[in-house]
Amino acid sequence: MAEEEVSKYVTLISNDGFEFVVLREAVLISPMIKSMVDAKSEDHFPGQVMEKVVEYFHYWYKNREKEDVPDMDIPAELCLELLVAADFLGLDKQT
Amino acid sequence: MKEPEKRREFHLTFRVLTSHSALTDFLASQNISANRIREDAEARRNAANASNAQSAGAGPSSTAANGDAAQVAEAEEAAQVATAADKAAEKKRKSQAAAIDKIKKSKAFKKRKRQDEDSDSDGIAEAILAGRAAPLPGQMENCEICDKRFTVTPYSRAGPNGGLLCNKCGKELAQDNKDEKAQKKKKVAARGTARRQVASNRLDGVIGCKSLMTMCISTLVNNIDLADDLGDLPDQIVDRVARQVAKRRILTPMSLNLFLQSGYENVTVYDSARLGSDDLIRIFQMVPKLKNLKLKNAIQFKDEVMNYLITRKTPLNSLYLHGANLVSEEAWKQFLVAKGKQLASLRVYFTDKHVGDNFTATLKETCPALKRLKIAHNQQVTDVGIGHISELHELEHLSIQLITPTSTEPYVKVINKIGKTLQTLSLTGESIADLDDRVLDAIHENCTSLRKLRITHSEVMTDAGFVRLFKNWVNKPLTFIDFEKCRHVDSSKPRENAHLNGLCSDGFRALMSHSGKSLKKLNVHACRHISREAFEDVFSLDKEYPELENMEISFCEEVTDFVVGCIFRTCPKLKNLNVFGCMKLKEVRVPKGRILVGMPNAMGMEIEGTED
Repeated sequence: MAEEEVSKYVTLISNDGFEFVVLREAVLISPMIKSMVDAKSEDHFPGQVMEKVVEYFHYWYKNREKEDVPDMDIPAELCLELLVAADFLGLDKQT
Repeated sequence: MKEPEKRREFHLTFRVLTSHSALTDFLASQNISANRIREDAEARRNAANASNAQSAGAGPSSTAANGDAAQVAEAEEAAQVATAADKAAEKKRKSQAAAIDKIKKSKAFKKRKRQDEDSDSDGIAEAILAGRAAPLPGQMENCEICDKRFTVTPYSRAGPNGGLLCNKCGKELAQDNKDEKAQKKKKVAARGTARRQVASNRLDGVIGCKSLMTMCISTLVNNIDLADDLGDLPDQIVDRVARQVAKRRILTPMSLNLFLQSGYENVTVYDSARLGSDDLIRIFQMVPKLKNLKLKNAIQFKDEVMNYLITRKTPLNSLYLHGANLVSEEAWKQFLVAKGKQLASLRVYFTDKHVGDNFTATLKETCPALKRLKIAHNQQVTDVGIGHISELHELEHLSIQLITPTSTEPYVKVINKIGKTLQTLSLTGESIADLDDRVLDAIHENCTSLRKLRITHSEVMTDAGFVRLFKNWVNKPLTFIDFEKCRHVDSSKPRENAHLNGLCSDGFRALMSHSGKSLKKLNVHACRHISREAFEDVFSLDKEYPELENMEISFCEEVTDFVVGCIFRTCPKLKNLNVFGCMKLKEVRVPKGRILVGMPNAMGMEIEGTED
């Protein structure tokens, strides 16, 4: 994962080369990425997983003020890898 | 000249009369009324009469033989004809008026009237009457939609604009309507489920977005059959998966394998109800490094499983067995002898025969390192058995919940002997209802490192005892206090409490001033003699309880809206507040992100925070 200072956005790069441009505020839900935004860090997850993680960032950002939120769709075949990623990125807390 | 007319009239009458029995029935079955035919015929006859009269009148006048007399007769006759025609018209009007009255009383009319309030009621009735006058069965009609000619049957459907539809179009329309209805029904059902789910989530403390991990776990559990292996997930995630699997009751011999990896040290099965003895034995075969074993609903954990465990070199140091009622006393003893030395934690729930006084007596010899002991829902342990616990000098956590009534002395003995090192003391259940203040005094004297204290269902301990316990107690502030149902009960004088039994106002004040600083969880469920003044004092706005997260004040009668408001202000971390049965609560403003459960209003269980 790399970062772009000054900008409102952060670019997350997966270990197989996919780049995701994400709203900086949205990624701060992950304490792990928050700490990584300052220091350059290496890749961790394949693109498919990263894509879902990024989708979650935006899902969270969009719904953070709402009370009744429908669940995000998570493909069964990805859920174990995604679980590891969620654990690594500290996405186990609400809010 | 009148002869043929008369014959025709006779003929007509004859037809109508003779047709009365069989034909009328047939016509009625085809929705044709004989009455109506008769009325039509009569109307025709009257019209014919009128024209005949005119021509007949023309005859004599042309001859002009009878002069005035003839003219008078003519006038009379004309008047007669006129009255006949008038009568027919009158009759028709009357019958129509009657029909309209009838329609006005009908359901269909009322329904339509409701639909468009402002339109004229006579107009609606006439419209319905006109609708009824639509083509009758057996006649041909053009379909309203496809314009094809078709034969009207009693089953022909009305189109959207009031005309009739052919069979094909009618079917299509009916299908459309059905789909619409089904969709509506489905939608309503979905909304109901969603509302229940939202309520359930709130009770679980879930507001707003779920975490990615929670969603992943529920997806994983939904597809548990597809998973071969959980990989190397950290322990706490495996535990969360195990909880979800048990919650959905899908822990089977197949899915058990997911939680048995040779490298694991912890195995937790929250629902073993569907596992057999062989499956339980498999746990020890597949997880040789097993240290912490927790089995709930372990009904099939029998002697053979225990005997197998004894033969293995499993380095077990914590055993949690729930519902293993089939393990015999002998097998327990063998287990303690074989594995007791390494055992640091032993928790046994729901046993009615084989865990008794002998069991606690052997603990001293067999389990010298035991730090945590819990015996819950037990029918065999008595005062004698409790006395044996005082020999376990390493004990740090002690929980007892028995069925047989017990007395104060053995508890005092236990607390005097091992109270100094105890961090957890939990005495619950009906069996301790007769324990008195001496237990509280013993705790005050001996316990200096308690963090968690639970004494429930006591009706003999007094407010003064609780005050003595907390006043100048050298123990550090506690993090967990549960005094559920410590209150005086007298059904004949429910409000009186002359001796201040149970936790009352002063005890509550003393408790909060001693432990309020670090208390995380407080339960004073049904301590109903705590006064409103005490609540207001304790939660007055100059105080703060910074750690309190979870509080249960259900069935405390004096809790008011103001008290709840103060509680939310003085406890910044409070997430969950239970107020079942606090009937004085009317309208509480709940800060955002907090959960108030059990408001006594018709709106439902709970009001979720909206205020900032």
